[in-house]
Amino acid sequence: MSAQHLATMVAVRVLVVEDEPKLAQVLRSALRAEHYDVVIAATGEDGFFRANAEVFDLVVLDLMLPGRSGLEILQALRTRRIETPVLILTARDGVEDRVLGLDLGADDYLVKPFALPELLARIRALLRRGRTSEILRFKVADLELDLVTRRAARNGELLDLTLREFELLEYLLRHQGHVVSREMLVREVWKEPRRATPIDNVIDVQITRLRKKVDADGAARLIHTVRGVGFMLREGEP
Amino acid sequence: MIGRWSAASIRARLTGWYALVLMAMLLVYATATYVAVRHEFLEQLDEQLHGEFETLEGRLARMPDGRITWGDEGRQDPDHEPERVFELWSPAGEQLQRSGADVSLPPTVLATASSSYRYETVRSNGERWRSLTGSVTVDGQSVVLRAARSEERVLGQLREVLVVLVFGLPLIVMLAGVGGYVLARRALQPIDHLASEAHRITAEQLHQRLSVPNQHDEIGRLAAVINSTLARLEGSFDQLRRFTADASHELRTPLAVVRGIGEAAVAKRRTALEYEEAIGSMLEEVDRMSNLVDTLLRLSRGDARTIKPTHQLTDLGELAKEAASSLGILAEDRHQTIDVSVNGGVVVSVDRLILREALTNILDNAIKYSPNASAIQIRVERVGDRAVIAVTDQGPGVALEHREVIFDRFFRVDQSRTRNGGGAGLGLAIAKWAVQLHGGELTAQDGSRGGSEFRIVLPTGSISPITDEHLSHADPRGGTS
Repeated sequence: MSAQHLATMVAVRVLVVEDEPKLAQVLRSALRAEHYDVVIAATGEDGFFRANAEVFDLVVLDLMLPGRSGLEILQALRTRRIETPVLILTARDGVEDRVLGLDLGADDYLVKPFALPELLARIRALLRRGRTSEILRFKVADLELDLVTRRAARNGELLDLTLREFELLEYLLRHQGHVVSREMLVREVWKEPRRATPIDNVIDVQITRLRKKVDADGAARLIHTVRGVGFMLREGEP
Repeated sequence: MIGRWSAASIRARLTGWYALVLMAMLLVYATATYVAVRHEFLEQLDEQLHGEFETLEGRLARMPDGRITWGDEGRQDPDHEPERVFELWSPAGEQLQRSGADVSLPPTVLATASSSYRYETVRSNGERWRSLTGSVTVDGQSVVLRAARSEERVLGQLREVLVVLVFGLPLIVMLAGVGGYVLARRALQPIDHLASEAHRITAEQLHQRLSVPNQHDEIGRLAAVINSTLARLEGSFDQLRRFTADASHELRTPLAVVRGIGEAAVAKRRTALEYEEAIGSMLEEVDRMSNLVDTLLRLSRGDARTIKPTHQLTDLGELAKEAASSLGILAEDRHQTIDVSVNGGVVVSVDRLILREALTNILDNAIKYSPNASAIQIRVERVGDRAVIAVTDQGPGVALEHREVIFDRFFRVDQSRTRNGGGAGLGLAIAKWAVQLHGGELTAQDGSRGGSEFRIVLPTGSISPITDEHLSHADPRGGTS
């Protein structure tokens, strides 16, 4: 039930309102790789016009734009009762800025510089919202994880995982085939408010241990490190 | 009017108030004086009258012809007695004898024939006279004797006193006002001087200080306080400069690496694997940089005090166990043990997340610097009215000269350790800031078992919000305050 499957069935249209050309280009190629239909608006005016005139499944909105600010676009959308999910990109992470955006009806926000895997994960979550039933069993290659019995097995053999290792594996499985950044792990698995050096070190050690258990000698590697980006669980080399 | 008054200089206002108060006091004083003098004068007059009356009474005698007289017929000359009048009356109202000034006083009548006296003030030709009337019995015959004196002289004297008081008072107030103005000017002159000196000192000349003429008087103390403020300001500016320099250095290094890797990668055609390697390496540096920027932003918010701690009652023992368990895996990896000992329940009102971050950073530091298979101890206890969390390790300890600067931003004991081992030397700086945000102190000292001991000392009454006063001493930038 990943976004890819959804995307192949119906072309998901994403509007990206971003004035920085390089970043817009990066977003375009990253979203295209996820099989989304991407429309780029480079100015606030253009974004405002398109968001009002066309139908999108999701809007990625930069807040600092020439012409019209992202907040204005958001406000206009919401006053016209267009409930398209909106993900805000902002360079300011002051609490007030975030609260303002969410108050005006944004569904999520990311602070620049953000990690691409995280943006993609958030977009998937927003598109999935209210549509999927809870997945209780995961299976990748010969790795299985059952959330009801809280058991994980590789090649039929039960894995002896600690609580944290189980949660980590579950999170990697939920995002299988996608890169999971350290920020995501810190927030979603370790439930810490922010990344810090000690936690980074803990994640490294934890991943190493999990890998030892899951990818024990002989078995095909499932947990991969994507240098400088994060980790990914998938069959075969990324 | 009030606006103009408050706009006036302190000098003018001081003088104004001074004159006003003096005026009021002198007015009361003058009125009291005048009333007292007047009373005294009139009393004297009455006493004089009484004396004369008695003298005259003593001289009353019955003449052979049956008349009653005080004799001394010769004292009739009005020129000699312009202010006195003596009269002798029969009870029937017939004047028997008279001497003194040539005025006709209204006839007097004694209401009662008994030997009572009566003082009264009467008017004659516009002049006031004081008279004493009494009935006297001479050889069984009753007569009425009257002695009178003009009040004009006394009134004249009183008028003089009044004139002196009425004209002298404003003069005195005026003189006092001028004197007060001069004194106020003299007293306030050092402040003007101070102001013009302070005006000279700008951000570029923060090393300058105000001259302190006498450090024991009020002005001297003011100057000393301003000077110590300047010193703190200068310290902050210096730290800021150093910090900016360090920060740009720390950011330049990964930038240089990214650039180097990129340039090397495009210098010639390479395999996909090599490109992948180059990109990964660049991403690692970028990651390092964004973490650094995040941390710096956080610290600068801490400096600007825009981070408001949310206090809640927290069991420090639980907090220590939490920190130990979250980093337990790191210690385990190096076969170290973390032992948490809690001496009774130590519950303090703190921002749980911020304090845990401090503890985590200290613990991470201990794990990093301790040898494999060593023991790390966290002790939580209450000492007097303070709560103490002590983290003891068996590492190399902290050299004496590093005990303060170890909390400085970007400080690293071993400068060559810059790249590996993680962290940009901000962990302890953040810990120190976090502890000081709670009004506490973080110090490094020798541990009892050879290594080092990092002590977090918190006031247990930190329920009350920390004041600016406290924060101004607690420098969030590090230990060099």
